[in-house]
Amino acid sequence: MVKQDEDRDALAEKLILANQELAFQNEEKEKRASELAVANLELEFQNETKEKLAGELIIANHELAFQNQEKEKRAAELVAANKELQLFLNISSHDLQEPLRKIQMAASRIETSDYLALSEKGRVHFVKMQEAALSMQTLIEDLLTYARTNSDERKFENIDLGIIIDEVLDELKDTIEERNAVIEVIEICEANVIHFQFRQLIHNIISNALKFSIPGKPPHIRISADLKPGNACLNDQLKQDLEYCHIRIADNGIGFEPIYREKIFEVFQRLYGRETYKGTGIGLAIAKRIVENHDGCITATGELNKGATFDIYIPTLKKPQHG
Amino acid sequence: MDSSQLIVLLADDDASDRTNFTDALEESRIKTVVHAVKDGVELMEYLKKEDTPVPHILFLDLNMPMKNGLACLKEIRSMDKLKDVAVAIYSTSSYEKDIEDTFQYGANVYIKKPTDFDTLKKVLYKVLSAAYVYREPPFSIENFLLKL
Repeated sequence: MVKQDEDRDALAEKLILANQELAFQNEEKEKRASELAVANLELEFQNETKEKLAGELIIANHELAFQNQEKEKRAAELVAANKELQLFLNISSHDLQEPLRKIQMAASRIETSDYLALSEKGRVHFVKMQEAALSMQTLIEDLLTYARTNSDERKFENIDLGIIIDEVLDELKDTIEERNAVIEVIEICEANVIHFQFRQLIHNIISNALKFSIPGKPPHIRISADLKPGNACLNDQLKQDLEYCHIRIADNGIGFEPIYREKIFEVFQRLYGRETYKGTGIGLAIAKRIVENHDGCITATGELNKGATFDIYIPTLKKPQHG
Repeated sequence: MDSSQLIVLLADDDASDRTNFTDALEESRIKTVVHAVKDGVELMEYLKKEDTPVPHILFLDLNMPMKNGLACLKEIRSMDKLKDVAVAIYSTSSYEKDIEDTFQYGANVYIKKPTDFDTLKKVLYKVLSAAYVYREPPFSIENFLLKL
């Protein structure tokens, strides 16, 4: 009997324990369930946000596609406009040259046959007329050169800049002698350039240096060219990780006010009167265009009466050797 | 006709240019017989006539109405009778494309029309006194454009 009671008690105790365990498990389950509900809510919210973002992305993509289309359209328009401009320039330059050449030819015939028949005043006017015709001829030729300096004729070659400089100095031989100019070539390297365009570029800068000298002071021009990495060039327009050929042409001429350092590269910009310094105001614009055809950069620094320095940077298409 | 005379043909649509040309030849020391035509069509008609003497040298303007100089050049070089005639391009243009095209189609020398009469005389003298050279190959584009 006692044994039976004891057994019952033990069973009851077990049952109580089991119940307790069950209650605890239920509690846990409920806790999990509510946690799950919260997580579900969170997920739902995230999904909603994602959908909203996706929607926004689609709209943004459409916008971008549209902008791209517009850009392509503009680019095509620009190419067409440029072509037209080029054609217009070629035609008008040719059509301008033709009558001008005839004026010059007729004048030269009067000069050979009837010059002495002119009065003294008449002769002065006659010479003035010929000078004006000549400066118009130069202007048209310069404009033509400018118009034709495009990237169509890209034939790059690795060439020793010393060769190009020698060619230019030979072309300018007479002026150099006439002005007692000293040309100092300090250091020279190779560059990957369009030969005839680069000769034109160097020609324009050196002839500028010869032209804009201080009266009574022989021009002294220093030329150097060396290779250096973009990050050593002190020019923020250059790519830091490319190697550049840096050409520097410095003179002791009349220089310019520093505020004009960008302006001097624009077409028809002249800082000095025609009376003092001849020229058409296109030379440096051509120079800039040529440098841009080479994916390079040209800058001018100077001070009034303290000379001008032109720095040209042309990428070499090689990774820098050092730095 | 004196056999020592050079037969010169000029095709140029501009009357004053034709006058300058013939005047300059007259004043030169070289004996010439000049015939001038005023456009490409007239040029080709003249050249195709049976009794036309084959010229020693043809001065050919590029910018002409009806038929331009380049078209004439192509036609001339395809004709048996004329394929060896010396052709001097005589143009205001010194446009690289014109120089390359005319060189490619077999012109012998490229003259940019001078701006004064003395130079014109010098240019013509130089070209005429070298006319025989233009029949001798080889010939390169480097000395195609005439320089004094």
